[in-house]
Amino acid sequence: MPSRERGAVALLALLLCQGVSVLPSIAKPALRVGAIPDQNPERLNRLYGQLADELSDRLKVTVRYVPVSNYPAAVSAFRTGGLDLVWFGGLTGVQARLQTSGAKVLAQRDIDARFRSVFIANTSADLQPIQSINGLTSLRGKRFTFGSESSTSGRLMPQHFLAKAGVSPSQFSGGRAGFSGSHDATIALVQSGAYQAGALNEQVWTSALKQGRVNTDKVRVIWRTPEYVDYHWVARPDLDQRFGSGFTTRLQKAILAIQPSTPRQATILELFAAKRFIPAEASQYKPIETVGRQLGKIR
Amino acid sequence: MSSLLQLEQVRLAGSRRDRLFNLSLRIHRGERVALLGPSGAGKSSLISVINGSLTPHQGTVLWRGKSLRQRTRRQRCEIGTLWQDLRLIEELSVGQNINAGVLGRRGLPWALANLLFTIGAAPCLQCLRQAGLDPQVLAPEGLDRPVQQLSGGQRQRVALARLFRQQPSLLLADEPLASLDPAIAAEVLDRLLEKNADGSLIHGAQAVVVSLHRPDLIHRFDRVLALREGRLRIDAPATAVMPADLEDLYAL
Amino acid sequence: MALPRPSAPALALLPALALLPVLITVVAGLHAGGVEILLTCLAAAVHPSLDPALLTALFSALQVTLAMALAGWSLSLVLGVLLGCCASERLLQTWNWPTWPALILRRSLALPRSVHELIWGLLLLQVLGLHPAVAVAAITIPYAALVARVWRDQLEALDPTRLQALLQGGAPPLAACFTALSPAMGTVLMSYGGYRLECALRSATLLGVFGLGGLGTDLQLSLQSLQFRELWSGLWMLGLLSVALELLLTLWRRQTRKAQAGQRRLCLFLAGVIVAGMAGGLWLQVLLPDSGIVVWQGLALPDWRGLTQAAAELPWLPLIVETLLLTVLAAGIAIGLPPLAMLLAPSRFWQVALNPAWALLRLIPPPLTVLLLLLSNRPTLAIGALALGLHNGGVMGRLLREELEQQSVDQQQAMATSGASARLGWLYGLFTPRSPGYLAYGAYRTDVILRETVVVGLIGGSGLGWQLLESLSSFHWDAVVVLIGAYALITLLGEWLSDQCRTRWLQS
Repeated sequence: MPSRERGAVALLALLLCQGVSVLPSIAKPALRVGAIPDQNPERLNRLYGQLADELSDRLKVTVRYVPVSNYPAAVSAFRTGGLDLVWFGGLTGVQARLQTSGAKVLAQRDIDARFRSVFIANTSADLQPIQSINGLTSLRGKRFTFGSESSTSGRLMPQHFLAKAGVSPSQFSGGRAGFSGSHDATIALVQSGAYQAGALNEQVWTSALKQGRVNTDKVRVIWRTPEYVDYHWVARPDLDQRFGSGFTTRLQKAILAIQPSTPRQATILELFAAKRFIPAEASQYKPIETVGRQLGKIR
Repeated sequence: MSSLLQLEQVRLAGSRRDRLFNLSLRIHRGERVALLGPSGAGKSSLISVINGSLTPHQGTVLWRGKSLRQRTRRQRCEIGTLWQDLRLIEELSVGQNINAGVLGRRGLPWALANLLFTIGAAPCLQCLRQAGLDPQVLAPEGLDRPVQQLSGGQRQRVALARLFRQQPSLLLADEPLASLDPAIAAEVLDRLLEKNADGSLIHGAQAVVVSLHRPDLIHRFDRVLALREGRLRIDAPATAVMPADLEDLYAL
Repeated sequence: MALPRPSAPALALLPALALLPVLITVVAGLHAGGVEILLTCLAAAVHPSLDPALLTALFSALQVTLAMALAGWSLSLVLGVLLGCCASERLLQTWNWPTWPALILRRSLALPRSVHELIWGLLLLQVLGLHPAVAVAAITIPYAALVARVWRDQLEALDPTRLQALLQGGAPPLAACFTALSPAMGTVLMSYGGYRLECALRSATLLGVFGLGGLGTDLQLSLQSLQFRELWSGLWMLGLLSVALELLLTLWRRQTRKAQAGQRRLCLFLAGVIVAGMAGGLWLQVLLPDSGIVVWQGLALPDWRGLTQAAAELPWLPLIVETLLLTVLAAGIAIGLPPLAMLLAPSRFWQVALNPAWALLRLIPPPLTVLLLLLSNRPTLAIGALALGLHNGGVMGRLLREELEQQSVDQQQAMATSGASARLGWLYGLFTPRSPGYLAYGAYRTDVILRETVVVGLIGGSGLGWQLLESLSSFHWDAVVVLIGAYALITLLGEWLSDQCRTRWLQS
């Protein structure tokens, strides 16, 4: 074959390869687990890596953890079928379920039924611990940051309680609140003094304190919010079709059965900062939906 | 003599430069025509109307008795032009540029092959010699030498070689001597006008039209066409043109 | 009109004045608490984490980013060249076709171009789900429109007579176009196309920062949780990759003298582009095996009432003012900083030392710079402007260096022999001849910055960008549509304005 023709044949072969690669790859169904990125990635990777192994062993299917780096992306990925089982916050879970009809709430942690946020302040900001909700008015005129814009404990509920006390974000210094992006970043930014005060998930705060990642000379809690309901496991409606009937129930049982009995299960619970998982109902999240609608985060 | 090209009442409106008024003329087989006239007289416009880069607003242009209003590729191939600005493709080599003359008779694959390889070397070299450039001066690259590296006179020859490669029946040259030194100019003119023993032109075309500014050279042509302000002032055999007529032509 | 027309070098240096208000605000906003964190962060640069597990994870994330960039780059070049050809009046005329489709195509390409790849990514994420193809498409759409514009402009700027000469000689249109245009356009394709590859790598990283996968995701999460050593591991990896790519392109660009060789290289380059696209696509399939097929999951189209209501609810004036202010300040820094830095220290050593600085600046995605700056500073618009300005300053710095390398040093030497200081020699001898071209590119860069304001929207909620992200996170489609429309409109206006500036200032 002359060299020119040989080249043409090679090019044609490459084009054909491309055609094949675009075709849908016929792979075994895998259960894709995701989570809203509310903590540092290394911790998330460890946590969900262990969980994926545990669920895979129990359910005899491939389970893969898909990291997502922002909250709305997790909601959209769940709606469009990119994620099958997601650890959502209160608000994102409601958003996801409203957009995905038939999605099922599987479980929550023991702590999620009685969840709280904390308001923290830099010690130099001259903010005193607040006794009642009305004390939040002292935050007016301060530089204040939330966490991620879609976070329940880092934004929605704190903003709700601020509104109850008559404080709107426009009354903060600069005419608006900041959004640090995550709970850890809120601690860092308030501790550094970039913001004078902020609000975050109490569980993240406690574990940061335990791990000594907080300089208590510089930042302290000024208020704990009242209890509300937060994180929950939500599963897509089509799991039974894809993995066999009764799969959703088996999945729920597998999650609820995680006990500190084996080392792996103990690690999972420890990383989740929970003693166990408990069943949850969609109706528990009605109040979150109401607040979400009030603040314009649910349309 | 049969008429090769015929213009009937051609009018070209436009800017002052591009104006031709009711121009009628014929060019016959075997003729060597000098096109004279001061700058802006319409020499380039006439050449453009003949080769099809300008379309007249009125009148007809006939080629071998057929209208050129919708030019076919074959008709385009038959009329070749040596442009005043040469219009060589600077990034390409001598050989590629010469081969570009024959694109009208070849297909796309050949055009692509010409871009990638050195092809048709023999006819290229022949055309180059015919144009009066010894391929030896292109050494060491030869036909692969980029046109950018050539001198003005050499470029003129490459453009001429491209024209010869096209093998047109009518050869148009727009001020081919303008920027050349006298020795080279005389040689370029030889290449355009010399005849074989049998009376045919050496480059194989059936007629040649050369626009130029040199009244002293008209003795080398068969016929003189002179334009002034877009009108045909002189159309006569070269031997019948008097110096006084030409002075009149260039007078203010 | 008798508007004053400052000389080009002054025009190129004046924008650096934007540094003044920004630096004053930033310095005034500095606080001691954050300096400590910032120092920790800087110290981590020389002491990145070398944990094998982390490096493995980062390496596979880097491969995802590279694969996305390659696939998006290749697709956008191929599409852009085809679209650019269709949008060229000259080419249509060659076939004697009517030219109005070219005009319509050119006008309609303005829309995909005026929307930043990040917004495309976030929008496509909504309708296609979390799939690697989303990032590829998000890069491809605006890039293809950009390449099409550049390609078309270059085609129209070429000398048309050579093509006409071939056509008059009877050459068929396609063969004539290839012979007359491809040599010049090939050079454009190789230099501009190579530059787009680096842009694609930056975009792929940025898309990752906003959750579309790859190394950006890891960088963002590391920084958010203040894992600086892990952050730097990722940044160094990205830096190495980008240096490697640049070296490859520089080697590639070394010209040979043979004309056929140039054409063959063009063919090779085209083959390389296509192979890179395929390799990127296949690589993504291998890296993310169970991402499944892309399924269009349409959203309900917003109705007119919803749109007008959403438009009425938005505080337009502050949004637009903030966006424009951010653009002007950032553009000032981006255009003014490189010549200022080189002017202050014209020594050869310093100029060379600046190169890695520009590289680093354009490598770090602006949202990360914002987060870093926020650690030690109050949240102000100046922070956003500084982050955007530094990032684009990295791009402009590289460009200026390349421009200056093409300038002969004769004039500079002449200045030196006449006793001028090194600084003045640099300014008058080297920079002045090159400043019109630099400024023209600066005007174009300002358009890019205007589009890019969306990526720093997250701090302190400034401008349209923040509002857009907030509306996206609330799934408030009416507002999203209205805001994208507003963004497109402002960008198009800005593009028109910068075109006017370019012609007014540089046609002397």
